[in-house]
Amino acid sequence: MTSNKEMVGQAAPPAHLSVRGIQKRFGGVHALKGVNFEVARGEVMALVGDNGAGKSTLMKVLAGAHIADEGQFYLDDKPVTVASPNDATDLGIQIVYQDLALCQNLDVAANLSLGDEPVKSGWGFLPRLLRPLDILEMEVKARKAIDRLEVRTLQSVRAKVGGLSGGQRQAIAIARAVGAESSVVMLDEPTAALGVAQTRQVLEVVKRLRETNHAVVYISHNMRDIFEVSDRICVLRHGANVTTYKTSETDPDTIVAAMTRGLDNEAKNGN
Amino acid sequence: METEAKLSFLDRFRALRETQFGSFVPVLLALAAIWGYFGLALPLFDLLTGEEETFRAIFLSPRNIYNLFMQSAVIATLAVGITVVLLLGDIDLSAAATAGVCAALLGVLVLAGVPGWTACLIVMALGTFMGVAQGILVSYVGIPSFVVTLAGLLGFQGLMQKILPTGNLNVGNDFVRGFARVLIPDMWGLALGVLVVVAFAVANLRQQAQRGTRGLERDTPFAVWGQVIAFGVMVIAVILILNSYRSLPLLLVLLVGITALLGWITTSTPFGRSLFAVGGNAESARRVGMKVKRIRVAAFGIVGLMAAIGGIFGASRFGSVSYTAFAGGSLLLEAIGAAVIGGTSLFGGRGSVWNAILGALVIGSLGNGLDLTGASAADKLMVSGAILLLAVAIDAVSRADAGSER
Repeated sequence: MTSNKEMVGQAAPPAHLSVRGIQKRFGGVHALKGVNFEVARGEVMALVGDNGAGKSTLMKVLAGAHIADEGQFYLDDKPVTVASPNDATDLGIQIVYQDLALCQNLDVAANLSLGDEPVKSGWGFLPRLLRPLDILEMEVKARKAIDRLEVRTLQSVRAKVGGLSGGQRQAIAIARAVGAESSVVMLDEPTAALGVAQTRQVLEVVKRLRETNHAVVYISHNMRDIFEVSDRICVLRHGANVTTYKTSETDPDTIVAAMTRGLDNEAKNGN
Repeated sequence: METEAKLSFLDRFRALRETQFGSFVPVLLALAAIWGYFGLALPLFDLLTGEEETFRAIFLSPRNIYNLFMQSAVIATLAVGITVVLLLGDIDLSAAATAGVCAALLGVLVLAGVPGWTACLIVMALGTFMGVAQGILVSYVGIPSFVVTLAGLLGFQGLMQKILPTGNLNVGNDFVRGFARVLIPDMWGLALGVLVVVAFAVANLRQQAQRGTRGLERDTPFAVWGQVIAFGVMVIAVILILNSYRSLPLLLVLLVGITALLGWITTSTPFGRSLFAVGGNAESARRVGMKVKRIRVAAFGIVGLMAAIGGIFGASRFGSVSYTAFAGGSLLLEAIGAAVIGGTSLFGGRGSVWNAILGALVIGSLGNGLDLTGASAADKLMVSGAILLLAVAIDAVSRADAGSER
């Protein structure tokens, strides 16, 4: 069987965000050793690897939370700089952390516009922080964001997040990332803490992100979820690329082998 | 079977507390219970046991209600300020001492011939500064607010003693005394009340109409009109009762006005939203770019300003400034108690300045009622402690994360 890597190289869609040669050291630990990564619009790219493979570090570099020691970012083939979370946000790169960072005491609409609340016009003489909130506009926007992701189980945008299910919270965190005019949405283990029904709900939302032409980076340990939603799977091991597979042309055993033993062993296994 | 019924009651209770006006229900029930006990049950008991000589139905008399409101006003002013820092999940133990320093300085200034209004502005600036200074220590130096304001409590108590070596000073200035003495003429007071109720109704109905045109979910007519009618009955009843004794005092109008302004700022501006966000999840607030440190400093500035206003109100009402009435007395614990009894969470992220006013009325009613029955100071302390404990227990029970149980 020919290498998946080459097949993917031919069939891969044009990258929207790509990074090349990313190096990152933490003191004596060489966390990323020249990693290449790319994701296209309308694609779900799974990022997998064993613990310590560099998934989280790479994701944080992409989000601007860590600054790469070396390496180059490209957005639609143009070189860009990401040196802070604000840089990433400005480029449309959003991350949904595992802890979701929602305010449980606030309602869905408030969470979706957190930090960027719409205010009523005509109050320009006041500092922005003291202008009246446009609560209705906030709810309209929230409703749109929720409808776009087709989160059907959510009854009201005025519901407090503390009272929602895990799947609904994940969907809201995703909706917030999408609402910020993002083109790249990175999800860190979005189904790790969820039951079967909730997981289904989140996977539907991820598929919806692909349909709305977002570039989705999906970090997970769950092979079933990965094979259900992803288009390609990028495997990292010991801070370096192993390879990238097309999901339709591989299987979970191959991925697990690549994660744990790398490509050479995979070849020896006759796969 | 029994546990299931219990759980569903708890769930319903939590759901109720999450609604906009549901958070008033526990504190209103507490107030009704206290008023019912002192105003109806005790007089009835005395009547039945033939002891009507000793205790008449004076608790609910207009005169006593007037006094009750005025007694609770200083507690309420401080409680409203403290609510703002409680929303962040912080606490201010120095508020009463700040009020004491400001009141003492006010007394000294007017005695030295400084015009009353200038003296008021000076102490308001001082109170804000004292709050901001503590806020900077909390935010930028990273000392827990409990410790910073505990130090403030001790230091400001000392400062007040320095300003008032005798521990007491009469305040005769007409401007300062005016807050408590000036009464709004009956008709004007009533007109003001009606105006406020109409404005509340119009704002509510207009918002519902706008919700309709923008395709948003609307409240049931029962809820909308229920709110308007309950609010209207409460406002008009209070004004009529006050009018039937004297009239509406300027001090109460100012207190309600300031509370309305702070209520609006905390619920309807991006700044207020950030208070709740920081109190609910500070890390999340930081990640979306909120200036958490500055927000905290501003909140402490607000509590300092409210403490100064409380000091002015106190000096106005008592006609004097004394160490025991402010820094050295029970004012601080009563004010924090009022905020918490009102339903503001000590854990941050939930509460309202209006609830603080109701909480202050609960504390004030307890003290007033126990005084009328001739209870000792010891009894008052024990009952107040029990009520506070009950309020915090209600907070803890209703706070438990409903989502995690499903």
